[in-house]
Amino acid sequence: MEASLPIFAGVKPKTEAVPSAARPTAHAPSLTLPLRFMATGLIALSCGIAWLVAQPMILATYHYTPQAVAATHLFVLGWIATVIMGAMYQLAPVALETRLYSERLARWQFVFHVVGFAGMVWMFRVWNMPQVGHFACLLGVGFALFAYNIARTLWLAPKKTVAAWSMAAALFWICFTGVAGLSIAAGKCVYDDVDKFPVTSAVGALLHGLRAVGHFVSRFAPMGAMHAHAHLGLVGFILMLMVGISYKLIPMFILSEIQNARRAAWSIALLNIGLAGAFLSILLQNRWKPIFAVVIVSALILYGCELAAILRARKRRALDWGVRYFLAAILWLVAVSIIGLVLSWPGLRWTDFTGQLENVYGFIAVMGVVSFAIIGMLYKIAPFLVWFGVYSPHIGRARVPALADLYSPRLQAIGFWSFQAGIVAASAAILCQNEIGVRTGCGALAVSVGTLAANLGKMTCHYFRPRILPLQKSTL
Amino acid sequence: MNTPLTQTEILETLRQVIDPEVGCNIVDLGLVYSASCQDGKAVVTMTLTTQGCPMHESLCGGAQNALLTLPGVTEAEVQLVWEPPWNPSMMTEDGRAIVGTQY
Repeated sequence: MEASLPIFAGVKPKTEAVPSAARPTAHAPSLTLPLRFMATGLIALSCGIAWLVAQPMILATYHYTPQAVAATHLFVLGWIATVIMGAMYQLAPVALETRLYSERLARWQFVFHVVGFAGMVWMFRVWNMPQVGHFACLLGVGFALFAYNIARTLWLAPKKTVAAWSMAAALFWICFTGVAGLSIAAGKCVYDDVDKFPVTSAVGALLHGLRAVGHFVSRFAPMGAMHAHAHLGLVGFILMLMVGISYKLIPMFILSEIQNARRAAWSIALLNIGLAGAFLSILLQNRWKPIFAVVIVSALILYGCELAAILRARKRRALDWGVRYFLAAILWLVAVSIIGLVLSWPGLRWTDFTGQLENVYGFIAVMGVVSFAIIGMLYKIAPFLVWFGVYSPHIGRARVPALADLYSPRLQAIGFWSFQAGIVAASAAILCQNEIGVRTGCGALAVSVGTLAANLGKMTCHYFRPRILPLQKSTL
Repeated sequence: MNTPLTQTEILETLRQVIDPEVGCNIVDLGLVYSASCQDGKAVVTMTLTTQGCPMHESLCGGAQNALLTLPGVTEAEVQLVWEPPWNPSMMTEDGRAIVGTQY
């Protein structure tokens, strides 16, 4: 008896073979490219959490200190941006169904990025603003290379999807974030000797230009400028990509599809509109802040509705831990949105409590939302990269493990709950300015990062000891 | 002389190719649209669960590798198609059980 194929007999597929040159993964970068970004990011995350455990006062006191600014840049640039950029080089071709424009540029960007962020963090810590500016320039070159590479990749994409538009917007915002950050650094430098250099010389033109930028930026309140810059990076680059890319990846992971493309597009559009307004209103510290906060929250509500609809329509019942991590991170957006709305209120008086509430807002946004979502996505990307490198050539010739066989779900569960406990404990302790509580909460985060490291170690073992078994004999 | 391979034999061989993300083979997942073998050349028409699937090369290459293990097959061609698009109703009962599909 002939076996029946699952396709219904009435439909004849268009048997047009796809040439190998058009295959997306044929043009994906080599595995070492995203892996080096991820490894660097994980080192930065581990250093950052160890730093918070060692010096919990960074979070237990108001955040306008060299240590808090340095730690924030370590997490945001060293951990979050590094991993996102590495993942983008791997995911952009997948999400856009095209190929990466240039792997060589990406390798150069890695060098500029690592030297730039490491130097910036160190110089922020010792509050040497001219040196911060110098390292920020290196980082800016890296940003420019990244933006150019992904923009050219976007240009090659056959379809301009919601994910593509969100990536384009994120590229704009990351460049703007870099320019804003450099301008703030210029505003904090002293230009005593600038007049010794004639404005007609190259060095003189640069220094006079920087002084002019510095004078312009010094018109704004320092906290307003810093918060506006932070929102550009976190909302414009990181949240924008999280939302846009998840419209492609989450349906892929859970066997579902976008349920309402217009709603998805509106969520991206409102996020852009809200951020543009929020940036100006935070910078100018005017009364429009809550209006634009509401616009951003509306974008997130639309995103949440679409994500819920995608989940309801899924054909894969069980959600793996990677997806659960991501969804839990999205739930933390509710807390961040509520706190953001409260803090945007123009009549809010500044007290110790509201100051600490700002710390909680940033902490949950950076750790509870973004870091947890990235860890969830790492649990999807890292096993794939290992599997692809070790087992892909053997598929069809030998029995090879599935992605889920490369790591331990028990460790994932421990990591999930310890991270949640850590966020709750540390947030409460930050509000109460309790250093022991912050240290305990960050200790729980360290446990979670430890489970991630252990699981990544398990995956890496497959490079050295692959589990390849002979095919089972056919029963026919 | 070898007897011609039946579709059942080809499909049984393709069941050795497992999508590592969902842990189900490509036949029960409903990715294989047609399979035939003539004069030592096996031809399979298949799709993927989504366009731009990162497992693209692995699954197509795996199907090709598996076909070449069949007795008498000297040439294997895998044609990747996107029409009609895959949907979960194309999965077999076994596939639904493995993936944990819900309707």
